[in-house]
Amino acid sequence: MDILELIGVTKRFGSKEVLRGVSLTVPERCVFGFVGRNGAGKTTAMKCVLGLLRPDGGEIRVCGERVTYGGTRTNRFVGYLPDVPEFYGYMNASEYMTLCGRITGMKPAAIRERIAELLELVGLKDEHHRIGGYSRGMKQRLGIAQALINRPRLLICDEPTSALDPVGRREILDILAAAKEQTSVLFSTHILTDVERICDHVAFLEGGRIAIEGTIDEIKGLRADTAVEILPEHPADLIRLQEAFPGAVIREGKIALANASGETARALLRFIVEQEISVLRFERQEPTLEDLFMEVVGQ
Amino acid sequence: MKGFVSFFNKELRELVRTGRLLLLVILGVIFGVMNPAVAKLTPWLMEQMADTLEGTGLMVTSYTVTAADSWTQFFKNSPMGLMIVLILFSGAFTNEYAKGTLVPLLTKGLSRGSMAAAKTAMLLGAWSGFYWLTFGITYAYTAYFWDNSVVSHLAFAAFGYWLMGVFLLCVTVFVSSFATSSGQVLVVTGCVYGMMVLLGLWGKFARYLPTFLTDSASLLSGVTQPSDVFPALVVTAALSLALLLLSIPLTAKRKL
Repeated sequence: MDILELIGVTKRFGSKEVLRGVSLTVPERCVFGFVGRNGAGKTTAMKCVLGLLRPDGGEIRVCGERVTYGGTRTNRFVGYLPDVPEFYGYMNASEYMTLCGRITGMKPAAIRERIAELLELVGLKDEHHRIGGYSRGMKQRLGIAQALINRPRLLICDEPTSALDPVGRREILDILAAAKEQTSVLFSTHILTDVERICDHVAFLEGGRIAIEGTIDEIKGLRADTAVEILPEHPADLIRLQEAFPGAVIREGKIALANASGETARALLRFIVEQEISVLRFERQEPTLEDLFMEVVGQ
Repeated sequence: MKGFVSFFNKELRELVRTGRLLLLVILGVIFGVMNPAVAKLTPWLMEQMADTLEGTGLMVTSYTVTAADSWTQFFKNSPMGLMIVLILFSGAFTNEYAKGTLVPLLTKGLSRGSMAAAKTAMLLGAWSGFYWLTFGITYAYTAYFWDNSVVSHLAFAAFGYWLMGVFLLCVTVFVSSFATSSGQVLVVTGCVYGMMVLLGLWGKFARYLPTFLTDSASLLSGVTQPSDVFPALVVTAALSLALLLLSIPLTAKRKL
């Protein structure tokens, strides 16, 4: 069963149409990257899923149940990490988690057990002082822990890594990848390397619509124009290669062939062997999500 | 219910850890002691100031202090206490909306109704605790120094002012359901009070308004009877309840 379905969701703020019919599906047990520019409507879409905003049109289903605005019953399936999570500074992590656990109706013993487990997961086990003194990264980590307390089937994270340093980012990504064992993760971001690192599904939101959606492999397959780049030992060989393969471009002592299919790559290798060209490097370059993203946003 | 209990516990912890409880207790004790103390010291103060006062043409004659003076002080200082409570808790809702601290809890299934109910209970509890602590201390000292029975309808008058405080706190709860800052809450609450005072100048309305409950002097001296104040009491209680009920749908539909 799909954990989350958005069907033609629209939302406007005044005259600004933020979501113009967003449809996407998050399957079970996956890390779903929700990619878009700043202001593309990622947060708006997520808040609609959480029932914090009322969509103007369309339908949202979590675990098959329709999401309603206000008293949102479907939130019992969902854990949420806001983009800048704010907690009560006068509590410590375990007190805050206890509050969260009680609100979800967990039994005291289960709460204690789960808190120990989650604080271990996010590396806050030995933090006993109050949240008021936490760094941003620590707050994000606590944010993930509190979101997971009632074993949600869907964890929604709004740009969890955007404001963090490289170390903090890596920690959060590792935690999210580990969380996949327990839940589906939908996380929004504009950092594409993060998506490539942990996501298995991705959707690009652009102009209020989903421009592309699919598994990482499917999406990369959309652009089959894998480039081949060759660095010959002798610069003179550059010309020979270019004569044999007219589409190739010579740049900085290297020759690059865009849109090179597997067949072309093999032909290139055969040519190199036959002509006894000595090569320092032969590289096939996979299209990156960034290339694709740039294409989608039209830049 | 579990949402209400959990969130109310959180409110209590906040009250303690942010030092507000301590502040309220200290102020409650100071106010409570001050009322009879000022009354007790009045003759001495008068004596000290006699020379200066004579210079302005005022003659100071001997003056016997009674329990009534102590209670006059109590009701004179109560507005100050109420104001402190209102200022202290004006951001109880709006600060949380502004910071976004409610979002993780609401998305975990805490209902907005439970949240608002727990906060309202905390506000009313804090006001009641502070007010009755002050009342109790004033009562004890006044009983020790003088005789409380010289004032009439004391409990009724005290209850009236307490209810007036409850009303203004209900106004803040109501305003908080749409206001975006504690400043707005205070200004609107102040305006509501101001309007009541202005309406009170219009003789016909006066005895139905919550502000009528602040006229404790007439009750204490027996000029007015509880039955005279009763309409204002009913109106105030009804308005308070109406404000709380009105704030429920507004809070439920509030954008977070």
